[in-house]
Amino acid sequence: MRLRLPALSLRLRLALLSLALLALPWFGYRYVREMERFLLDAQLQTLLGTARAVATALHDRPGLVDVPAAAAQAGADNTRQQAEALLQQLAVESQLPPDLQPQHESSLPGSPLAREPVAPLRDEVRSAEIAAILKGLERTTSRIWVVNRRYRLLALAGELRRPNAPAAEQALSRRFMEWLIPPPREDFDEAAPDDVLATGKEIANALQGLPGTRMRTSPDGLAVIMSAAHPVWSGDEVLGAVVVEETTNSILTVRKLALERLLVVTLAVFAVAAAALMWFAFRVSSRIIRLRDEAEAAIDARGRITGLVSGQRSSDEIGDLSRSFSSVLSRLSQQQAYLETLADRLSHELRTPVAVVRSSLENLRASLPEQTAQTYIVRAEEGLARLSAILNRMTEATRLEQSLHSADREDYEMSAVVSACVSGYRSAWPQTAFELELPAGTVPVRGSPDLLAQLLDKLVDNAVDYSTAGQPVRIVLHRLEQRVQLSVVNAGPLLAEGLAARLFNAMVSLREGDQGGGLHLGLGLYVARLIAEFHGGRIAALNRPDGSGVEMRVTLPMAVAGVP
Amino acid sequence: MSRRIALVEDDAALRANYSDALVRQGYEITAYANRPDAIAAFRLRLPDLAIIDIGLGRDQDAGFALCRDLRALSATVPIIFLTARDSEIDIVSGLRLGADDYLTKDISFAHLLARIAALFRRLDAMQERGSSEEVLERGDLRVDLRRFTMYWKGAAVDLTLTEFWIVHALARFPGHVKDRDQLMKDAELVVDDATITSHIKRIRRKFAELDVSFDRIDTVYGMGYRWKA
Repeated sequence: MRLRLPALSLRLRLALLSLALLALPWFGYRYVREMERFLLDAQLQTLLGTARAVATALHDRPGLVDVPAAAAQAGADNTRQQAEALLQQLAVESQLPPDLQPQHESSLPGSPLAREPVAPLRDEVRSAEIAAILKGLERTTSRIWVVNRRYRLLALAGELRRPNAPAAEQALSRRFMEWLIPPPREDFDEAAPDDVLATGKEIANALQGLPGTRMRTSPDGLAVIMSAAHPVWSGDEVLGAVVVEETTNSILTVRKLALERLLVVTLAVFAVAAAALMWFAFRVSSRIIRLRDEAEAAIDARGRITGLVSGQRSSDEIGDLSRSFSSVLSRLSQQQAYLETLADRLSHELRTPVAVVRSSLENLRASLPEQTAQTYIVRAEEGLARLSAILNRMTEATRLEQSLHSADREDYEMSAVVSACVSGYRSAWPQTAFELELPAGTVPVRGSPDLLAQLLDKLVDNAVDYSTAGQPVRIVLHRLEQRVQLSVVNAGPLLAEGLAARLFNAMVSLREGDQGGGLHLGLGLYVARLIAEFHGGRIAALNRPDGSGVEMRVTLPMAVAGVP
Repeated sequence: MSRRIALVEDDAALRANYSDALVRQGYEITAYANRPDAIAAFRLRLPDLAIIDIGLGRDQDAGFALCRDLRALSATVPIIFLTARDSEIDIVSGLRLGADDYLTKDISFAHLLARIAALFRRLDAMQERGSSEEVLERGDLRVDLRRFTMYWKGAAVDLTLTEFWIVHALARFPGHVKDRDQLMKDAELVVDDATITSHIKRIRRKFAELDVSFDRIDTVYGMGYRWKA
């Protein structure tokens, strides 16, 4: 079985297509990520540069960085543990507000290395010197340490956190945006984990003489810290390393801003593009709908053809469609006009020769008294009478249309007309039984009672012809809400598939292969349709649900609310 | 003295056939094939009755023009349109131009002759100016069968011969329903249902012009018409 797509209108399809615009922010996001990586790279290089610069300042000053012999003998493990403890302590203290920090710090401004508990581990003078160098390089968002070969921390400057902006009262949209794209946080744990020194590859590398970089998350996972280490040389010997650390927060901030802008811009673009697409779709589809309505109405119920108006002047495909439709219609209308007049002209053209034949026959009758000749003359005259009847029928529809144009409409009681008609039919077709059902109350309709009687004549005539012998023809008048329904039902052969719709067109006959003497050009039901439409109603032919016969159903609007 | 009938018909065979039939009835026939010939002859001498086809040769409405011209020459000459055209518009405009009857070419000789005879009788009766014994009185309606005229409340109703016969057929037996076939037979008319309906409509209108409240001609749907007593 073929998969059937649900019916989608043009508007809906374009709306779905506009969803493709949603790929835009994704590409934007990819781009921002790319930029971020590039920036991080650049930041890393900058850190490395800083580390190199600091190291350069310390190069070839073995006095500053060299390891005292005592400490060297203490063993590497011990020294490393000491360094870690020191680093942690330093980190915790640097978090304290400046005024709570020990007073003696002011004697060595900017350097937390000059404190009491650290003192036994180092030489005050050397450290102070390094701190003075670092002081000049100190930046608010980076932390710089210097370690010597034994992992001994010689100096530390700066801190990782950026100063927090005061939390202002935030607008709702702003808060929503923060929820959507969280800003980098500054309240991360700044302390270096125990094993920073131990596992710090970059430090190990630097102490081997190679500059190294590393990225790690802060112990609480809230921030990413990148660090770069550069060896401090003295001649061919590595004396120690300079480590520069910084968080990625400044780049994350940039990224956040970029993402925010991206979001806002793409949302705006999406809204504008979607609106433009919707407007376009609406315009196109409403033009097509208008064209369709006009095309449908171009051939009216009576087969008359009118031109199309919409889109005639536009130069696009819809205009083309409208124009080509119009030209097809105008050709069709010429053909239609030709056909319409054909029957008329034919009947007029034939009347004169028929009259010649008739008058000749009558003259012949007067001058030929023999009995045998008279028989033939009578037969010829009978044939002629039938021919005349055919000619009359051919123009019947045209004449009815003409009289419909000039017919007056009046309010009349439909059930009275129907019951009078039915009593007429009972005398006209004594061998057929007629069953009549009338509604209680009045059934006022607006139109012409003469024409309604003519309509019923046609339907009953048809029903009697097709009725199974001995079965009654039922005529039912039925009140609906604002309408009235007249049904003529006969038992008999059913309508062929597809015939019901065409039945009320001119020149369509049910009577295939019917050799009967009755004359049927298929105009009877066409005339019935014209009359139903004159009354503002519709006519339909349907097979009975139980398959017993055929129902002709006329639905007319009621003139005013009748009495139930 | 035999009656002189002018026949204006462009079809030669038809012209000859009608001429033969009318001559056989003792009428004197002069036949014309076109409008100029006919009007020239009418100017010299008026016929007693004229039978005119509407379409003459190429001119589709020559008969109407001829009727107008003839009516201008004489107000009393009976004029019959005998034509292949049977549209409502043609009938109405033909009768409006002063024709006494409008017949389609389907009509048989017998019917045509009956109409001609009736028109002559009406002409004679008008000229006699004597009182007629053949009068039918139905309330306000007075039917003079010799003059083929009708009076409603004393005023003459201007009916064509066909219309006269239809009203006469209805009024003869008030209350009896005449179906369309019967009316056609009585009016010696060979037309279809729709034409009877439009005849009835015209008759009602003509009576209504004299009397707005006229409602004697009753439609019995599915059966026919009757004269309400």
